[in-house]
Amino acid sequence: MAALLRGVRAGRALRGLSSGKTGPDRLCGAVVAAPTATTPQCSSLSRGFHRAAPRLQDDFKSDKPPPSSSSTTFHEHYQAHSAEQDNTATASHEGAAAEQASRPNTSYQDQSGEQGEEYETEEQLQARILTAALEFVPLHGWSMEAIASGAETLGLSSASTGMFNNGAGDLVLHFITQCNSQLTEILAEQHKQVQLGQAEPKATADFLRDAVETRLRMYIPYIESWPQAMSILLLPHNIPDSLKHLSTLVDDIWYYAGDRSTDMNWYTKRAALTGIYNTTELVMLQDSSPDFEDTWNFLDNRIQDVVNMASTAKQVQSTGEAVVQGLMGAAFTLKNLTGLNQRR
Amino acid sequence: MQRAAHTAVCVVAPAMIRRCLKCRVPLQVNSRAYSVVPTPRDSEEKDMLDRILRVDHAGEYGANRIYAGQMAVLGRSRTGPLIQQMWDQEKKHLQKFNEILAENRVRPTALLPFWNVAGFVLGASTALLGKEGAMACTVAVEESISEHYNSQIRALMEKDPERYTELLQVIKEFRDEEMEHHDTGLEHDAETVPGYWLLKNAIQLGCRAAIYVSERV
Repeated sequence: MAALLRGVRAGRALRGLSSGKTGPDRLCGAVVAAPTATTPQCSSLSRGFHRAAPRLQDDFKSDKPPPSSSSTTFHEHYQAHSAEQDNTATASHEGAAAEQASRPNTSYQDQSGEQGEEYETEEQLQARILTAALEFVPLHGWSMEAIASGAETLGLSSASTGMFNNGAGDLVLHFITQCNSQLTEILAEQHKQVQLGQAEPKATADFLRDAVETRLRMYIPYIESWPQAMSILLLPHNIPDSLKHLSTLVDDIWYYAGDRSTDMNWYTKRAALTGIYNTTELVMLQDSSPDFEDTWNFLDNRIQDVVNMASTAKQVQSTGEAVVQGLMGAAFTLKNLTGLNQRR
Repeated sequence: MQRAAHTAVCVVAPAMIRRCLKCRVPLQVNSRAYSVVPTPRDSEEKDMLDRILRVDHAGEYGANRIYAGQMAVLGRSRTGPLIQQMWDQEKKHLQKFNEILAENRVRPTALLPFWNVAGFVLGASTALLGKEGAMACTVAVEESISEHYNSQIRALMEKDPERYTELLQVIKEFRDEEMEHHDTGLEHDAETVPGYWLLKNAIQLGCRAAIYVSERV
């Protein structure tokens, strides 16, 4: 029965394709993915045409999950830019994005495409559950109850929390990863804007301030329970993961800030930014000013400190060099005066 | 989920614009349209490429400092110009690796300050043994580096020669130049230094240890 309905729908779409009047709009809506900021609509439209025909045929032939899953597939796309290869129209959001993302073939996942779209990996399922669980964090805190409630909203039994060995740690780490990806998307978008000449490049201090502020603002909905999350991250078995996420975050921010250093500066810059980020996060936890103004002021001051320190370090170095040169000159003069320089 | 961030970054990685902080004018790091290193397909490959690039960068940095040490002692002697010429080639190698590291977001080794001092001390102390000492040091170091580049070339060829063509080309070119330096050192009486065998093996042992550590730290 479901297959029959799908066949009818696909048939109508195919007819729309051939008629050419209402077809393009519907196809465009179905096929063109969300993040096509750079490609103009017309070229993606034509590409959509070329891709839609074989895809619709596949849809007509194979057994596909109901389209209500397209809302959840958006979550998956949101989390993993490069989903597995798929060839269906129902998961077209993912499809177009995956093709665009996979053109330089940067996916770390297997690109064999053999799995097909009705099977998702355990990782993807876990990701979906955890994302759904985030809604319940204000209610249940960062705990298994939140995960269980999340699983229930997806129509799974709350016993599926057995998948999560790390419990609340999994939830917090998933949230952190999500925030990091969001920040990277925003920074990449800004970077593109600057490259296209549509935006002015920011000064480093401003860029860092904006990046850290954007990232910390993502905690605002969960700020009440964030101390609990931080203490979960400090548990010994979570520390390696949380440090890894933190270092990735800091590395990304510096990369987009334009840092291309290949010497000790690489380490000092990242250490400084890590310090700034951690202290600002702690300040944010106990900040009660409107819209966390105190936190952003604190952030400004810390960044200014680092900038001052960097320029002071440079001054110290140049002064030191000048002093050394002066001493060498004095030593040379002494040698001349005492006649040690003459060769006999 | 870390992969998501990495993937998102790799998609825009070809955009290489380094902002000159003082003048705020975007400078192109390199004007080539392609990258010497292919974008890694998974984190394993990224780790392997990172290790290779990190240790090569450290090696060129160390070689730079060794020649700087030798020049500090022998700069004004007859062998000065020769050492300067070899040093200039090493500087070119280092610059190339700096570019590659920046493009591919590879972490440089944390031991760079140590190699800075150790390299300079090695260069200066062998140069104090005279021109032959400096040449012996050059022979030992260049032999180590060539061996190391050869093993990297073998590893990459075993994995996938077509994928790594440009990288292999770069490494082969550098290895050839290092071999040239090695031969130059031999031509200029490296073997006449007293304790040549001991000196050479001690330096090569040090180089091997340095390579091992720089791959990991």
